[in-house]
Amino acid sequence: MLRYVELYFKLVGAGIRAQLQYRFAFVMRIVGMITAYSGTAITMWVMLYQFQELGSWNFYEMLFLFAIAILSWGFCIILFFHFRSLDTYILNGTFDRFLVRPINPFFHFMAMKFDVAAFGQFIFSIFIFIWVSIELGIDWSFGKFLFLLASIVGGVLIQGGLLVIISALAFWTTKSEQFYWVVMYPARNLTNYPLVIYPKFVQWFTAFVIPFGFVNYFPAAVILGKETPFFPENIGYLAPIVGIVFFVIAYYIWMLGLSRYKSTGS
Amino acid sequence: MVPIIEVEHLMKDFKIAKRETGFAGAIRSLVKREFITKEAVKDISFTIEEGEMVGYIGPNGAGKSTTIKMLTGILVPSGGSVRVNGIIPYENRQKNAKNIGVVFGQRTQLWWDLPTIESFELLKEIYQVSNERYEENMATFTDILGLDEFLDTPVRQLSLGQRMRADIAASLLHDPPILFLDEPTIGLDVVAKEKMRTFIKEINKERNITVILTTHDMEDIEKLCKRMVLIDHGQKVYDGEISVVKDRFGKIRTLVVDLEESDCILQLSGGKVFKEEGNRYWIHFNRDEVSASELIAQITSTHNIKDLTVEEPEIESIISRIYQEGFQDLPNPVKV
Repeated sequence: MLRYVELYFKLVGAGIRAQLQYRFAFVMRIVGMITAYSGTAITMWVMLYQFQELGSWNFYEMLFLFAIAILSWGFCIILFFHFRSLDTYILNGTFDRFLVRPINPFFHFMAMKFDVAAFGQFIFSIFIFIWVSIELGIDWSFGKFLFLLASIVGGVLIQGGLLVIISALAFWTTKSEQFYWVVMYPARNLTNYPLVIYPKFVQWFTAFVIPFGFVNYFPAAVILGKETPFFPENIGYLAPIVGIVFFVIAYYIWMLGLSRYKSTGS
Repeated sequence: MVPIIEVEHLMKDFKIAKRETGFAGAIRSLVKREFITKEAVKDISFTIEEGEMVGYIGPNGAGKSTTIKMLTGILVPSGGSVRVNGIIPYENRQKNAKNIGVVFGQRTQLWWDLPTIESFELLKEIYQVSNERYEENMATFTDILGLDEFLDTPVRQLSLGQRMRADIAASLLHDPPILFLDEPTIGLDVVAKEKMRTFIKEINKERNITVILTTHDMEDIEKLCKRMVLIDHGQKVYDGEISVVKDRFGKIRTLVVDLEESDCILQLSGGKVFKEEGNRYWIHFNRDEVSASELIAQITSTHNIKDLTVEEPEIESIISRIYQEGFQDLPNPVKV
């Protein structure tokens, strides 16, 4: 275990150095991400300027919701984004190299790339957290802060888990890129807004099937003291556990895919 | 002698989706897919002893890579058994990985964007190579392969020859007793090929590493291996000494002559024109029946020769002859 932690940092360090070889692309990604998220935030503001609030969430509360999603997505990119290119490895046969080495291939694959460009997300979301906390006068007790951290970990695991599951489809279908656009992208877009504004079915789906509701909506509701109609009160406290369970399931699906790969070779 | 690799009645089937041709066919196969079973490896058995260097050859799609993938633990066989250094690779893949070095000639195992030295340092961690052993190996490999001229260059900027040298050194860093080389000289120039072969020979001799080599370059096999396993359509067709095959089928030489005139009909006793292009003629002859000089004399009596060469038989052409003539009357395989 300790060996894997050490190895993780070494592999990740190499990944970062590799990424820094392309300085211009690196800087542009950070700038691009900050610009893209600011754009979404401005759209929100324009909308709420008309309606004042959306499903009883005001502009600042929605920004808070958005910031949690962005922050956990940022960590998720850093840790798990390499899985998005798994299908390319399988397609051109370079995946085999992970299978001739004496370490866990899931771990090895995950540690191969470390997308530090997600710094853009951190800068953006930390700025929002401070701004919103002042505007809404959130009283940051130690417990509340700890809960925020735990639910961000949960959010990272939920989104990372979905990335892992989508990547694993490549073991069966060879190409999985399209699933990213069909599943991951819509799921992330849904969480830009409070789930309460969506039809009941969508809410139920995002709570229990692809549990993106636990990425930001339920935890934010707990921190801001908002109601979550149709769902038990304080369901948000479950976010970290949901994250762990979902990720474990994702890991086993990936391993199942791997064993299929080993019997078909493509 | 101790067998280090034991393969018995190895089989591997693949299910492949049948593709229909044309647009209508593509739509049809989208809705209803039919599968055909392809037996990539049908029934292959062989044992390889410690320190042996064996050429594993066959035409494209014969099942070479599939076999290697089963030996390395990447693929699970559909039937039969494999044992590599006492371990069943697909059951104990990670343990097996420590015993083997693998070089895929067409795909690097190194970190593409990083200076070459970093790949070695990372592999040292992955394989848990001790500091002393790492230093020793690096010193040896640097010495023989001249790694120092490009250790600080990112892998993507290396020439193919340099990259192959780095790849083979990387595969040996953890002192594996077995080395799999898949097309190790593909795309290299003559000098780089020669360097690579010298190195492979040396590590085989000095470290007693068992080497299994798949290649299309018959010179590789001739220069490196005593024994070859020839497979085709997933089955073993020959297993034994290269010299036996060479003696049996290697008596046929090719005389290539450029004549001053074209469209000649050459009637030669002991030789047979099997290809002509403009005024160049390729003639097969059996060196036991007729000598090259006799043949040349026959031609010069009626035509003027501008240029000529006598080609040594390559195993490649020997193999195609074996295919044409069948294996029935081949000497019994030396090893089973």
